[in-house]
Amino acid sequence: MNRTLPGPAAGLRRTLASWLAAPEADTRRAALPTIMVFLLPALLVYAGLTAYPVVRTFYNSFFEVADIASSDFVGWNNYVAVLRDDTFWAAVRNTAIWSVVGPVLDVVVGLLLALCLYAGVRFGRFLRVAWFTPVLLSYVVVGIMWVWIYNYDWGVVNVALRALGLEGLAQAWLGDPRFALGSLIVTHAWKWAGFNMVVCLAALHSLPSEVLEAAELDNCGWWHKLRHIIVPMLWPTLLNLYILAFIGKMKVFDLVWIMTEGGPVWSTETVSTYVYKRAFNWNTFDLGYPSAIAVVWFFVVVGFVILFNVLFRSRERMEF
Amino acid sequence: MRSLPRSAAAGSFARSLSRLLRSGGLMAAVVLYTLYSALPFAWVGTMSVRTTSEISAAHFAWPETFHWDKFRTAWVDSNFAQYFWNSTVVVVSAVAIVTLLGAAAAHCLARYNFRGNRLVYFVLFSSIVFPPQIILISLFQVLVEYDLYNSRLGLTLVYVSLQLPLTVYLLEGFFARIPQDLFDAAKMDGYSDLEIFWRIVVPVGMPAIATTVILNFIQLWNEFLFAVVLLSDQDARTLPLGIRAYMGDYFQDIGMIATGMMIAVIPVVVIYAFFSEKLIQGMTAGAVK
Amino acid sequence: MAAVHLEHICKRYRGTAQPAVDDVSLAVRDGEFMVLLGPSGCGKSTTLRMIAGLESISDGRLTIGGRQVNDVPAKDRDIAMVFQSYALYPHMTVADNLAFGLRRRKVPAAEIDARVRSAASVLGLGALLERKPYALSGGQRQRVALGRAIVREPKAFLFDEPLSNLDAALRVRTRNELVRLHKQLDATMIYVTHDQVEAMTMGQRICVMNNGRVAQTGKPLDVYRSPADAFVARFLGNPPMNVLKATVAARDGRPAARLAGGWLPLSRWDGAGLPDGDVLVGMRPEEVVLQEPRTTAEGLRGTVCGVEPLGAETLLLVELEGGAGEVTARVHRDVALAVGDEVGLGVAEAGIYLFDAATEQAIAAKEEQPA
Repeated sequence: MNRTLPGPAAGLRRTLASWLAAPEADTRRAALPTIMVFLLPALLVYAGLTAYPVVRTFYNSFFEVADIASSDFVGWNNYVAVLRDDTFWAAVRNTAIWSVVGPVLDVVVGLLLALCLYAGVRFGRFLRVAWFTPVLLSYVVVGIMWVWIYNYDWGVVNVALRALGLEGLAQAWLGDPRFALGSLIVTHAWKWAGFNMVVCLAALHSLPSEVLEAAELDNCGWWHKLRHIIVPMLWPTLLNLYILAFIGKMKVFDLVWIMTEGGPVWSTETVSTYVYKRAFNWNTFDLGYPSAIAVVWFFVVVGFVILFNVLFRSRERMEF
Repeated sequence: MRSLPRSAAAGSFARSLSRLLRSGGLMAAVVLYTLYSALPFAWVGTMSVRTTSEISAAHFAWPETFHWDKFRTAWVDSNFAQYFWNSTVVVVSAVAIVTLLGAAAAHCLARYNFRGNRLVYFVLFSSIVFPPQIILISLFQVLVEYDLYNSRLGLTLVYVSLQLPLTVYLLEGFFARIPQDLFDAAKMDGYSDLEIFWRIVVPVGMPAIATTVILNFIQLWNEFLFAVVLLSDQDARTLPLGIRAYMGDYFQDIGMIATGMMIAVIPVVVIYAFFSEKLIQGMTAGAVK
Repeated sequence: MAAVHLEHICKRYRGTAQPAVDDVSLAVRDGEFMVLLGPSGCGKSTTLRMIAGLESISDGRLTIGGRQVNDVPAKDRDIAMVFQSYALYPHMTVADNLAFGLRRRKVPAAEIDARVRSAASVLGLGALLERKPYALSGGQRQRVALGRAIVREPKAFLFDEPLSNLDAALRVRTRNELVRLHKQLDATMIYVTHDQVEAMTMGQRICVMNNGRVAQTGKPLDVYRSPADAFVARFLGNPPMNVLKATVAARDGRPAARLAGGWLPLSRWDGAGLPDGDVLVGMRPEEVVLQEPRTTAEGLRGTVCGVEPLGAETLLLVELEGGAGEVTARVHRDVALAVGDEVGLGVAEAGIYLFDAATEQAIAAKEEQPA
């Protein structure tokens, strides 16, 4: 992402001005009809299936949409109700925990795996495949797999614990409100560690070899190289991965829906599952209220993206 | 002239870390993680060729007899053939359309300077961060209103819009790096803009296009949320929905569910087997800073 | 400071038959500036890296300061290296870059500070200590890389083509600075380059390498004047030495070299054991003189095929008669010849070199042979 949101207002104004400025005459101009031919189909799809629905959701949020066709204006009522909704806040809490803790697991495990491969562990090619495959599986497959793994009676976890004589530690991993969220976080991290590993590996390979050799001559063993050279130089990538993971987990739906549907007792309810439930699985049909939740969440996510950009785009350039 | 093998770069780091890895401790951790990572999948694989009664008796045993006919049963009797077909139609069409639209838009944004170029790019690209709920409900309404609800066509169109930002992002980056000289030469040879796109950009950009095709295919093949909301008819279901429904209807029939899961996973595994480099390149593009 | 001795060092890579470094022996004296010179791929960088410990040694013995260090890890060899790309730590300030190695070696902070300041003042980096590498010019980065080596106070300095990324003017300035630094520090320096100008001007001794082997070692002017083989002869000198095929024949009872376009006297080799048949004759462009294109007297005849006026002098390219080859001559700037003119070329006997046609080894003249 080279051209994303800028920092303070002056930067914002400057950027907008540059985007809207007329270009200097040069060979890279094309006639308007030509540009339209290339852009119009994509823009139409975007307008009709992304932009319009966003606007419509905003619109919906101010209504009680009890029927596909009809709607009653209720002003800010939905929003007030959202802020008073305990379930909503439970969902926010769960999503927040997931979004903050999950990425740490993802990135740290990914980096460790990448370091193992970078250092040339044996059977590297096989390991790379084994560690990356979960990324490709659909959430449905992953979800069902882990439901079986977490099964109280015959799931891998409890069977292993019992086999090791740790009978007392066997739990109803998905049935107990205390452990359900954690179990889901572990499963989600299981799926994504491979992606982070692959990105970290690419980043490791792009490090200039001579800098590492200079560190070698400067009396650095592998730990010091890691701490003083590799991690600092990899920092932008690691940060990027954290942000990507964070945003991804703010939106998580599929895995929760397959494994626990938000239960037990809302201990795994996320904002996404709650919106879905209110829209399509509730005893009263009203599309306005979940639209309000969606709008609130939209601003939260976009707000975080802007925040991250402001905080981290102005970091030091590391030309190498 | 650096004729050093790539691993010589990590050479000394690798040597000292390898010594550590060879020491039992870390190697054990590597082995444990590999089991953690690969066993679930292997387990489901073995279960897919065992009957449910066999599984209930011994959950982790190696199959005594390989019941390959379960795949046939799942395919024919449990409707997986229909689900597979639905998924194939929807995903292949969506990928084809989004690739065409996305490549055209990406080319235009990368190659031509015009007022608002960066604004359009930003608008298209920024929708990547939108949480899906912001369009989920109103898309549902829109599709119902236009009689596209519960149809493969409707889902296909939605899938196109879902993958458009990523496609444009990946391709714009690649297309922008094609040297302007190529275009100037083609212009002087009398090619029109459209011809240049078709005859030069697409062939030259094929590696990036292939990568986005693979990425889009995998993401859409596994897509669940929009399918669940926008399809309700049993016969219209895509594979993820099919498996989930199966899980719901036949909760106890673990063997069959496992077989169904393996069917769903096969295309993805095939793609990975043949295109792993491309796939990984695509996924890391933009993430490495 | 210490002496560095390489004894029969070899480097073989798995999968390749030809070793990258083949039986290289070199004795670098304490405090000496030794230049490893050669074309790309000759093994000089690999040799340097083996001295540093960044490559393992397949065969042979390496000693630094009298201690065998074949299996000693790089960080324990007490060597400092300046890389071609400088290899500065991009995320650290100049001061941290300089201090990093010392901190890793647990040198007391006060000492680190003192050394950093002293190196900074020697190299003129005082004002740049708080900057990061991306904010420095190429020449400044190079000096930081140098400073990083100096603060270590190592037993020897290794340089891997450090000037190749600098522009021409800066290169000349930095070359002189390095020579001055060498005198000031009285340090053992081993310098790798493919640029013979750098080798000639900086080295106290040079070691010319080719195809993984040492072709010749010696003082720059000695190597220039007495090349051990045709490769060294052609490598040093710009424009390179003219090497032509000729046949040994007798003329008036004296040995001579016969070419299609003339003949050259080989009286210096009279009684020196000349081989019969083919030889290679060499003459440096600056030793070639113009003369009348006579048919019977000694000398060569040919046609001018190129004139390159350089301002201070002119280069003349002459196609020899009978397809004997092409000769480049450096002539006075006022010489008025044009393409197509017939010329005669001569060379003083002292300026003739002889090489074996098969092995390309130099054939010593009578006076050079041991008694």
